[in-house]
Amino acid sequence: MPGIMLFLILCAISATGYVMGRRKAATISGNDNRALHSNIPFHGANVALAVFLAGVLAMVGGSIIQSVVWQEDTSNTLAVVLTLFAAAVAFFVTFQRISLEYRARNVTEKLVKGVLIAAASIAILTTVGIVMSMLFETVNFFKQYSIADFFFGTNWTPRFQGESDLGMLPLLWGTMYVSFIALLFAVPVGLFAAIYLAEYAGPKVRGVAKPLLEVLAGIPTIVYGLFALITVGPMLRDYFAQPLGLSDSGSSVMTAGLVMGIMLIPFVSSLSDDIINAVPQAMRDGSYGLGATKSETIKQVVIPAALPGIVGAVLLAASRAIGETMIVVLGAGAAARLSLNPFEAMTTVTVKIVSQLTGDTDFASPETLVAFALGITLFVITLGLNVLALYIVRKYREQYE
Amino acid sequence: MTDASASPVSPAAAPSAPSSLYEQSSRTKKRNASEKRFRAYGLTAIAVGLMSLVVLLISILGNGLPSFKQTYIVMDVELRADVLDKNGNRDPADIAKVMTFGYTPLIKQAAQAMVQEMGSDIEGLTDKMIGDMISKEAAGQLRNYVMKNPDMIGTTQQFKFLANGRIDGYFKGRVTMESAALDGNVTPEQLMAADEMAAAGYMTTAINPGFLTAPDASDQRPEAAGLGVAILGSVYMMLVVLVLALPIGVAASIYLEEFAPKNWVTDVIEVNISNLAAVPSIVFGILGLAIFINFAHLPQSAPVVGGLVLTLMTLPTIIISTRASLKSVPPSIKDAALGVGASKMQTVFHHVLPLAMPGILTGAIIGLAQALGETAPLLLIGMVAFVREYPGMPPEGLFDPSTALPVQVYNWTQRSDPAFFERASGAIIVLLVMLVLMNLVAIILRRRFERRW
Amino acid sequence: MKLIKLSASALAIAAISATAASARDQVQVAGSSTVLPYANIVAELFGENFDFPTPVVESGGSSAGLKKFCEGVGENTVDIANSSRSIREKEIKACAENGVTDIIEVRIGYDGIVFASDINGPAYTAFTEAQWYTALAQEIVVDGALVTNPNTTWADVDASLPAEEIQAFIPGTKHGTREVFEEKVLLAGCEATGALDAMMNELGMSEDDAETACMSVRTDGRSVDIDGDYTETLARIESNPTGVGVFGLSFYENNTSKLKVATMSGVSPSTETIATGEYPVSRPLFFYIKKAHFGVIPGLKEYASFFVNDAVAGPGGPLSEYGLTPDPELGATQSMIENEETMASGS
Repeated sequence: MPGIMLFLILCAISATGYVMGRRKAATISGNDNRALHSNIPFHGANVALAVFLAGVLAMVGGSIIQSVVWQEDTSNTLAVVLTLFAAAVAFFVTFQRISLEYRARNVTEKLVKGVLIAAASIAILTTVGIVMSMLFETVNFFKQYSIADFFFGTNWTPRFQGESDLGMLPLLWGTMYVSFIALLFAVPVGLFAAIYLAEYAGPKVRGVAKPLLEVLAGIPTIVYGLFALITVGPMLRDYFAQPLGLSDSGSSVMTAGLVMGIMLIPFVSSLSDDIINAVPQAMRDGSYGLGATKSETIKQVVIPAALPGIVGAVLLAASRAIGETMIVVLGAGAAARLSLNPFEAMTTVTVKIVSQLTGDTDFASPETLVAFALGITLFVITLGLNVLALYIVRKYREQYE
Repeated sequence: MTDASASPVSPAAAPSAPSSLYEQSSRTKKRNASEKRFRAYGLTAIAVGLMSLVVLLISILGNGLPSFKQTYIVMDVELRADVLDKNGNRDPADIAKVMTFGYTPLIKQAAQAMVQEMGSDIEGLTDKMIGDMISKEAAGQLRNYVMKNPDMIGTTQQFKFLANGRIDGYFKGRVTMESAALDGNVTPEQLMAADEMAAAGYMTTAINPGFLTAPDASDQRPEAAGLGVAILGSVYMMLVVLVLALPIGVAASIYLEEFAPKNWVTDVIEVNISNLAAVPSIVFGILGLAIFINFAHLPQSAPVVGGLVLTLMTLPTIIISTRASLKSVPPSIKDAALGVGASKMQTVFHHVLPLAMPGILTGAIIGLAQALGETAPLLLIGMVAFVREYPGMPPEGLFDPSTALPVQVYNWTQRSDPAFFERASGAIIVLLVMLVLMNLVAIILRRRFERRW
Repeated sequence: MKLIKLSASALAIAAISATAASARDQVQVAGSSTVLPYANIVAELFGENFDFPTPVVESGGSSAGLKKFCEGVGENTVDIANSSRSIREKEIKACAENGVTDIIEVRIGYDGIVFASDINGPAYTAFTEAQWYTALAQEIVVDGALVTNPNTTWADVDASLPAEEIQAFIPGTKHGTREVFEEKVLLAGCEATGALDAMMNELGMSEDDAETACMSVRTDGRSVDIDGDYTETLARIESNPTGVGVFGLSFYENNTSKLKVATMSGVSPSTETIATGEYPVSRPLFFYIKKAHFGVIPGLKEYASFFVNDAVAGPGGPLSEYGLTPDPELGATQSMIENEETMASGS
């Protein structure tokens, strides 16, 4: 039976449950709401909801057992039988319980609350899924490659013949360096843009400039990558790197950092703008009243008040920068190197995750599996940054109102 | 005061005390200058941001706009019965045995006949060169026509074929006589012939609806490649994301904002959500591959898998913005509802949620727009694929293979024929138009329903 | 209520995806991005000429393709894996563990690897393997000792080459092309200069160590790894016209107006010189089929035999037109598919 049919049947049973539950409640109370603990519709909703939830749970459970445990992809008999059975049981149990004293509203609300909790826990499930999906292969990797060499090795030279050096320090360094340059560009620009939008700009300018800046965040990163490769890279090389004798490479940390910085402007500006707007007007008025100019007010009153939020926004931008892939692939190159020169090509963790996973190396070899170890490391790093951001925001948040 | 300004006895005597309201003291001047500078910094920052946007857009538009036009050749082709139906009984099974390889010579002959008819005398223009001016797609087009109309075998019909990508590039300025002299795939003679055909009206450049509707084409036929499958795939994925992420996100936010007790479990969930918002998108690809394809056995390259992965990716964004809008509903509304005896659940669903809806929708649309442009996770679940069959209608169509717009861009930038670069830029334009439309809806929603408490 | 409607449809999708049980009617292919353009061309022709739907060809690298291929047997696994290298022992074992035992190996032809530079750039017209080795090796042998590569310009390497800074764009370590480059250019050059002998005999290195030393590429920025595809290499050359890049033959043939190709040891690359083996730097391309899917997935066998059909993969066919060097033993491959000979039974 196709899944859609089964689902429609379940909906039909559920709807019937609603009608019948309502009718029974109306009959036993003589159509008098006051005689019942809960309003008549709640009795109907209670049956309907119970049937629906039980059915859906059985449907999902049944098909997981069928396809994953039994490895049977072509039929779904088990799911169908389980679903109909569960729906029927739920129907009779809840229908039987309808009485004058039955607290249908409380039960319904509990069910709804359960659904809400389930939705909230999807976030946790996702995290668990992410860790699980990478952990298994990471363990495989560390069986073939020493943990110390991976975390503290300064050489990244995968080879097809085996015996590769897979130290992640050069990749980590590249990631940090590119992100640092990106933030060096994005934070001042974004922050000043936010201040101007929030404090100086009239509603018209604001209404136009803010969405336009946000478009920058919506442009697919592959577009930025091409921009870095074709325009920014050669320009930086011809006007800065070569005259200064620093490097001859068109792709560099600087290229990727600058272009990524452009992408990050709206992340910093939009969030900071909201936060600056949330600073109560009374604080500004107080400052003006003491004779401060607008810029003095901003520098000495508004920014300090908004600082925790701004730091949070910057950290969010930082984790975006660390996770960014396409710009670095095209802008910074693929050379794993530990160097201070910003005009040299370097590479990042994300680039190597993509390239090792989509490459031509043997899929059971450490050269491919290293991608999962890199993925988990990256996950832990962004987690750390976020916990830090949340901590700062909470600890230093000023409560107004 | 006016006296003091009227009789400047000794300006140096009282430098700090303002001698006049009309004349600013040096300190005020300094403060005002710093004010102006500060304001200028802000303006510069915005200008830098907008400039970057303009430069980006110009470069995309410049590269991509030509892909919406295409060069066509109109010609008469004789559908020779001795080639297409050797037995002469018009049996579809027999006709089907003639592959496109059999149709190619017919088209080449027709092209040569056309050039002869024009009385062209370009030196060095060989028959092969003439034949190669027409897209390789033409043979398939012709075969389809004959398969549908077997009765037409033996007649001469007029067809409108696509011109080869290089010839098309000539009319768009991508290919020049100089580059053609060096190019192994096109010759200056062909370009001269193309000029003559255009003058005679056989060759025209027109708007190309196929770019938006046709499926992808292989590396040998950039002129025939279109975005049909990719657009459908992207729309399907957005459908899945909207239908899954919005309710789940709203439900999760309601719980976290209105019901969750403040304890460590809620803290863990919160850290989790803000962390998920920043997890590199490629990691979601790894997750999707492991869970939806290898564990749940969903089909490869299907929009439903892409949609599920993008749902998990956009959930945090939606939750964060939904919570902000729920928070912005003033407590007085809740208190009033609770005061007249509504339960907590009723308060939330009947009063808080409807009031927060515009903000929630805005957040959802922005989340969707982000998901629409995402490439990296789709790389790992088989969406970077060559798909020529359109997916069916939902819900079954959600399980058919398809690609997505950003992935098609990525795919085309990898192809060796430079004509694909133009098409990739064209695809970016389509993607940006979709993004702008979605953002416009969000802005309109925000404008229309925004409330100030 | 809107929200309830939405939630209902959400659950509907979740439930349907959980209970989906649809039969697949098109061939699914995954794997190497080098084979991809050829597979696309064949898939397109196949869709035009047969009643079967056009096969879906995923790209994602040989490794990912073979991994999906080895995931198991069944409709939700791919039927064919494209690969720019032959399948490894370890991978065959991993396949067998998941029940993928009968694998048919199909060699579709050879891919030439060429050395090209900007058409208006310096005159890089003739190279030898030895020059590439001397220019790009991490360490070379000078006066009987291993020293860090001191060469900075091509003229330092060989006076016949232009006096330009060495800047080479070579495939990154994720590409199968890199392996070919290391073995057929660097190692061959290492032997030709006598450096390999010197390392083994005079410096007392083991053969393995010496070969690894031969194939180690300098990391001082004169050699740039390209992890992207050839379009990226081309973009780098356009922005850096004194550089030399490593390309696939088909890519070069599509961009002859921008690139000029260099000969290798006096032979200029073309499908003919690669077929005869005169041009030294080439490699075979493969795809692998699950025999268990024959008869289950409609059109699979037809697609495989169409791919190696003379009209498609033979000389003058669309694939050779696009730059694939036809396999001289195409006939054997055709009968192999016809008889469904698997790797074990075939060899």
